[in-house]
Amino acid sequence: MIQLGTSTRGALSRERDVREAYAAHSGELYGFAVRSLGDSGLAEEAVQETFVRAWRAGDRFDPKIGSLRTWLFAILRNVVIDLGRARSVRPSVAEGGIEPSVEPLDEALLAWQVEEAMRRLGEDHRRVLVETYYRGRPYAEVAEELGVPEGTVKSRVYYGLRALRVVLEEMGYED
Amino acid sequence: MKTRNECREWRELLGAYALGHLEGDERAGLEAHLEGCAGCREELAALAPVARMLPHADPARFELAPEPPPELGRRIASAIEDEKQRTQQRRRRRTFGGLAFGGAAAAAVAAVLLLFVLGGSSGTDAGQPVEFTDLPEGISIDATLEPHAYGTEIHMYVHGVPSGTLCRVWLRGPRGVSYPAGTFRYRWGDDSDAVLSSALDISRTRELVVDTGKRTFVAPVNPPGATAKIGQEEST
Repeated sequence: MIQLGTSTRGALSRERDVREAYAAHSGELYGFAVRSLGDSGLAEEAVQETFVRAWRAGDRFDPKIGSLRTWLFAILRNVVIDLGRARSVRPSVAEGGIEPSVEPLDEALLAWQVEEAMRRLGEDHRRVLVETYYRGRPYAEVAEELGVPEGTVKSRVYYGLRALRVVLEEMGYED
Repeated sequence: MKTRNECREWRELLGAYALGHLEGDERAGLEAHLEGCAGCREELAALAPVARMLPHADPARFELAPEPPPELGRRIASAIEDEKQRTQQRRRRRTFGGLAFGGAAAAAVAAVLLLFVLGGSSGTDAGQPVEFTDLPEGISIDATLEPHAYGTEIHMYVHGVPSGTLCRVWLRGPRGVSYPAGTFRYRWGDDSDAVLSSALDISRTRELVVDTGKRTFVAPVNPPGATAKIGQEEST
């Protein structure tokens, strides 16, 4: 689990703590908000509301229950639900080629976690997982294209999955 | 006995195997090895949940890594600063208002307070805090009651029960008669207070009761000198 050094109860009650939390987690929170809402303007609104709510309720944060990151994601989840409800009365507009997510929110969170973890993998590992798993291409064909033996593609798939597990664990995923 | 190199060769096939891509002799050979190698079985068990997560992702999004705009951090700092100032202004207004009233205005305020003390539902008071004492370690309940023409409004925040817990709330009047105030579901990360209401007038309220499914918590309201207690009503 990712924990901030200042993860004591009331960790966000001071503005300096909010700045530290923003520096550590805003990228991920924003990425998930864009993934869920499909609109960068709404995503900015969601992240802003998340930090304002977190600051307002700073003394209610309890690191014994979970990390600051998990708490911020829990607040963002509620904000996204609220924004989703508000938006349901008006049509959504996708922008920048990012389609709004249509799956339930927990599914969107799981999907975002895997996508974010894939982005953090090394190029070699991500490439073989994309080609063999997502595109369903034969290992021999991928090996030829990459100019490596087929066995190397298989070992990269193995080390890629291992690396993915490590990244997911760093992001707070537990079995 | 298996050599380290032998294990490594089989182990490097575990990724393809976990994704269901291994066939024929390689698959049969790896499965035979797995039967006799606890270390490789353990490794496979670590990879399997990751392999099961892959179908949830959309590969078209792997290249997209949206970054928040640089000014968002400043906007958030500014929004927090605004809220802080509004809170301070409200506090100042309350203090100043209390000092500035004089003469007839002070008499009117005194009349309203007197009505409230005597049991009338003026509907103008900011809220009466209710104290739950002797709660178990880790659980806290913040609650205030507000008088209204229709009865009593309850603002409540419960901390320390598992996220998703359904909390039932009611007020008890004289002779222990219960008046339901509604339910709310506690969700971790949701910082908002639950707002509930009961038909019982605040002046007749004797106890505020919160039932979390496994335990019931009771706090005294109004009677002087009473102490809060944790109820023994276990409702599983």
